[in-house]
Amino acid sequence: MSRKALASNQLTAVAWLRLLFVATLAVAVVLTPGFLSAPSLLTLLTTVSFVGCVAVGMTFITLSGNIMSFSLGATVAACAVTFVAVLNAAGPLAGIVAALTVGGLLSGAQGAIIGGLRANPIIVSIAALALIQGGLNFITGNATTNANPGAGHEVLRGKLLGLPIEFVVLLILVVLGQSILTWTTFGRHIYFVGSGVRAAEAVGLRVGWIVTGAYFWAGLFSAVAGVLLGLRYNQANMEYGFGYDYDAIAAILVGGTAIQGGQGSVFRTFAGVIFIATIQVLLLLHGFRQEWQYLIAGIIVLLVVMLQTTGRRHV
Amino acid sequence: MTAIARGFVAPKNRPYLFLSGTVFFLTMLDWNGGRFLTSATAFSVLQTFATLGPAALGLGMTMLVREFDLSIAGVFGLAGCVAVLTGGESAWLGLLFGILTGAAFGSVQGMIITSLGLPSIAVTLGGLLIGVGMAFVLTESQSIVYGNMDLALRLNERIATVFSLRSLVTAATFVVAAIVLGFTRIGRDMVALGSDRRSAEIVGLNVKALLIGAFICSGALAAGSGALLSYSLTSAAPSGLSDVLVPAAAAAILGGVSLSGGTGTPAGIAAGVLTLAVMRAGLNAIGAPPYAHDLAMGAILLAVAVLDAPRFGQNLGRLLNRQ
Repeated sequence: MSRKALASNQLTAVAWLRLLFVATLAVAVVLTPGFLSAPSLLTLLTTVSFVGCVAVGMTFITLSGNIMSFSLGATVAACAVTFVAVLNAAGPLAGIVAALTVGGLLSGAQGAIIGGLRANPIIVSIAALALIQGGLNFITGNATTNANPGAGHEVLRGKLLGLPIEFVVLLILVVLGQSILTWTTFGRHIYFVGSGVRAAEAVGLRVGWIVTGAYFWAGLFSAVAGVLLGLRYNQANMEYGFGYDYDAIAAILVGGTAIQGGQGSVFRTFAGVIFIATIQVLLLLHGFRQEWQYLIAGIIVLLVVMLQTTGRRHV
Repeated sequence: MTAIARGFVAPKNRPYLFLSGTVFFLTMLDWNGGRFLTSATAFSVLQTFATLGPAALGLGMTMLVREFDLSIAGVFGLAGCVAVLTGGESAWLGLLFGILTGAAFGSVQGMIITSLGLPSIAVTLGGLLIGVGMAFVLTESQSIVYGNMDLALRLNERIATVFSLRSLVTAATFVVAAIVLGFTRIGRDMVALGSDRRSAEIVGLNVKALLIGAFICSGALAAGSGALLSYSLTSAAPSGLSDVLVPAAAAAILGGVSLSGGTGTPAGIAAGVLTLAVMRAGLNAIGAPPYAHDLAMGAILLAVAVLDAPRFGQNLGRLLNRQ
């Protein structure tokens, strides 16, 4: 069998396996008593939304060929603190604007360094993580900022069309993110840069601006997660968003977006988020303790990553 | 003049420059205060070195061959739990089991990466989550106590004023690594592999064995330091994503290991770890607020990232030529 035929056989096999996975999951969901009950579903949808927003943002970074960021979780915390502080001072709208500004700037600045100077994305994001954490500690003194009652943000809580507002926001972000990637020139340029920086340079794309843009959007989407956390818990501190970076990249990989960049979509990331969360809830309902969550998530990531192999070496 | 300046910022000399700069700067800050240049600070520096050093060394080995082992954060915590759970009768047995767990993680991940040709970040992310998860499952999310208080005291007992058994073991590990990488063929093969994988394959290096070996080292080293830390704290807890990955990566990067492979030495990594340790202990000693360490580390890392960025040199050159 020729190599090409082998590769395409492998691809169909992977597609079938994926279908089998999803079908099994669907059957398990239907057969599990209590899964389709409203409270259980609503909790699931709320909890996935926070990480979901970050994952949608991180997708931009991964697609642009910059692997992942270690600083989006800290960005979430910074934005949540900003939101609550400004909310107390000037109301919800100003709070949201301030949080989005902080998120966009923090992440966009990293993008400018990474895209403009071609600095290593991992090192820059680790440096940014340390700087953001240090800065937050300096500003908040490691204390929790509480939202004043009656600051006017209570309106933004509750349900919309029977869904938790967090999940509605996530759905909007997914559609927005995918629209940017599919229908704008900027979006297609992200794929192009992610597939090969050299080629993108050669055809005259402004790589620096495109990467900056990708990071800027990642920051904005993470800021939304910060705002949602502030709204939900009525307070914010440095611990918010801890570990979201890893959960987000796990969802991206499980969705099938290539870690090397240039291939994938926000829809896939959304599917990854839902897939992991569904399995975790299923296990919980079947009596597995909470402790198994990380283990199961890890096994899923490993399996999915192994299924994606094309036998070719990517570095 | 520029040659000297270039020598200073050359990646090869940079770790030592950072280390001496940090020591100098803190000495200045503490001028005549008598708080920084003390044996207590030196001891505390070496204790941090003992905890962070092996993990940074292991991660550095994988970076040297142009891979990246995210799983050390999971393995570090898991090995601590394994060592405490199995070390009830004999501490050595527990340590052995802890290190074997780490080595097993490394070898399985290495084999998956080499045999399927997968990117290491993706595979080791799975390993990271599995390691964290196993620690939670093994301990049932509880903090577990290690009864052998004598061992804990012995591990942290001061030897020659500033050392402890733990820091001496770590120092010995670095010496062994420096000898193996500096004077044997394995070291040169790893540099060759990290610099140019295709060429390394073509000239007939055993690429798979080297890669798997790097991951085994990384897993075993992280596990060893995790196990020893748990012993010396007489407890282990599934800490989730333990705080070891980011400082270990920072130490390796400050130590002159490049993420694009092929550069870095154990001596440099040791200098990188010591820089972070001196910063942490020194800033603590002179009473700096807790955020000072984060800000200083972030600023230095950012400087490294910018200095190493390919476009930075070009832009700087263009700027200088214009004048």
